[in-house]
Amino acid sequence: MVYRLNFVLWRFRSFVSFLTLFFFWLAIYGSRSEFLGYQKSQMLAYIVGIAVLRSIVLGSRSVDLGGQIRSGELTKIVLRPLGIFSFWFSRDLVDKLLNIFFTFLELAIVLAIFKFPFWFPTRLETYIIFAFMVILATFLYFFLSFVISVLAFWTEEIWATRWLFGVIFLEFFAGAFFPIDVLPSWLQKIIYLTPFPYLVFYPLKIWLEQISGIEAVKAILICFGWLLLFWWLAKNLWQKGAKNYGAYGG
Amino acid sequence: MGHMVARLMKVWVMVSLRAAQSQLLTSWAGILFLIGKIVRFLLFFVFLFAVLGSAKNLAGYNPQQVILFFLVFNLVDISIQFLFRGVYQFRPLVVSGNYDLDLLKPLPSFFRPIFGWTDILDFFTLIPLWIYFLWFGFSQGIFKLGNFFLFLALFTSSLVLGFAFHLFTCAVCVLTTEIDHLVWVYRDLTNMARFPTDIYQRGIRLILTFTIPVVILITVPAKALMGILSWQGILGSFFISGLFLWLSLKFWHYALSQYSSASS
Repeated sequence: MVYRLNFVLWRFRSFVSFLTLFFFWLAIYGSRSEFLGYQKSQMLAYIVGIAVLRSIVLGSRSVDLGGQIRSGELTKIVLRPLGIFSFWFSRDLVDKLLNIFFTFLELAIVLAIFKFPFWFPTRLETYIIFAFMVILATFLYFFLSFVISVLAFWTEEIWATRWLFGVIFLEFFAGAFFPIDVLPSWLQKIIYLTPFPYLVFYPLKIWLEQISGIEAVKAILICFGWLLLFWWLAKNLWQKGAKNYGAYGG
Repeated sequence: MGHMVARLMKVWVMVSLRAAQSQLLTSWAGILFLIGKIVRFLLFFVFLFAVLGSAKNLAGYNPQQVILFFLVFNLVDISIQFLFRGVYQFRPLVVSGNYDLDLLKPLPSFFRPIFGWTDILDFFTLIPLWIYFLWFGFSQGIFKLGNFFLFLALFTSSLVLGFAFHLFTCAVCVLTTEIDHLVWVYRDLTNMARFPTDIYQRGIRLILTFTIPVVILITVPAKALMGILSWQGILGSFFISGLFLWLSLKFWHYALSQYSSASS
């Protein structure tokens, strides 16, 4: 009963975040059809896209790993004949599927009530590139989140680290509140140097067909580069950390 | 009465100082949290400036007024987090049964659940925020003295309302042992008042006024500062805060009567 209540409240919270952004941009647009380089339908599609990609890309259970390392619960998992990455990625997938189902249900209700114009790509290849970028982003987030979690082998302050890098920087720099390109250009330049924009912002720019084919390929290649880096980091940090593991309380 | 309040204040200061010591000992986490709070505030601020620089208007409010809403939101939100942080640590007390020990102490039953933890990092954030808020309001000529005193009264009323809601969540925790998500629902709903609540449709505004009254909590004090609040709005706000406090206290006492001291 408590778990079901938690899930309902969690979905409610996601829905409230979506509504806040939705009404903010509706108020900003008012009678305008275009603002800061986005047509109204594109901006609303971006907001809906944030809700969807939060479920697909950012939906995760591997955040629990840090707590399990600190509490010693990890012992129960490492004793099983399971690959650690496949175990946590499977958990992530289940969480994503559950959240995706409810996200689409909630969005369908909002779309049915407000009947606002929604942006769909005009070219078939956009759907394919978008899907490919989302898959890359999902893996990138998994390894990035894994790296933050395994820091728990060395520090007790895992919640603070995750809150700063896995919540604050992630949500703002990924474009999970608003499109990055509405910010001043000096700030954009800093944000583009991080891996975060490849999680939400670039997939949605591809969906909105606001970047050229060359730029999309460039984004995919950079995302792939970040993915390789975080995969390598996750693998090595896990191996080093596992040797360091004291199974406190386990 | 005055003696009792002074005694409670003294206990609260002692508890807060110990909480601060504990937080400052784990300085690495403290620094990360502090950076996060500042970065979040600044990024929202830059975003608002960037958007309002082009839009010039949000739901009939000019950029200065929208910034003021944002500042009042932060002041109220952070002050409430600073004062009533104890709720985040109440669940383990109920689940373990250790809350029994607090009930034996000569303190109000709600003292430990609500005031049992104070976040010193929020206090550090509040100081520059208040300074900037006062500078922004007075240097731009937005604040008039009468409106400012009214704002302070309504700000106090918001703290009472914040206390009432946190007490309500503690009561729910006693009955169901669930608190975390309920507190986060409150925080998400208050986040809706980061922008003027006039941007929302009428139905949502009614929910934000009468369920978790974030309109009373944040929008009303901000409007008082701008001098655009009717006397009915002012009286209504005080009445709703008082009503929520009364209802929360009633519910709290009911919840306590059902407390089963689970694990002791």
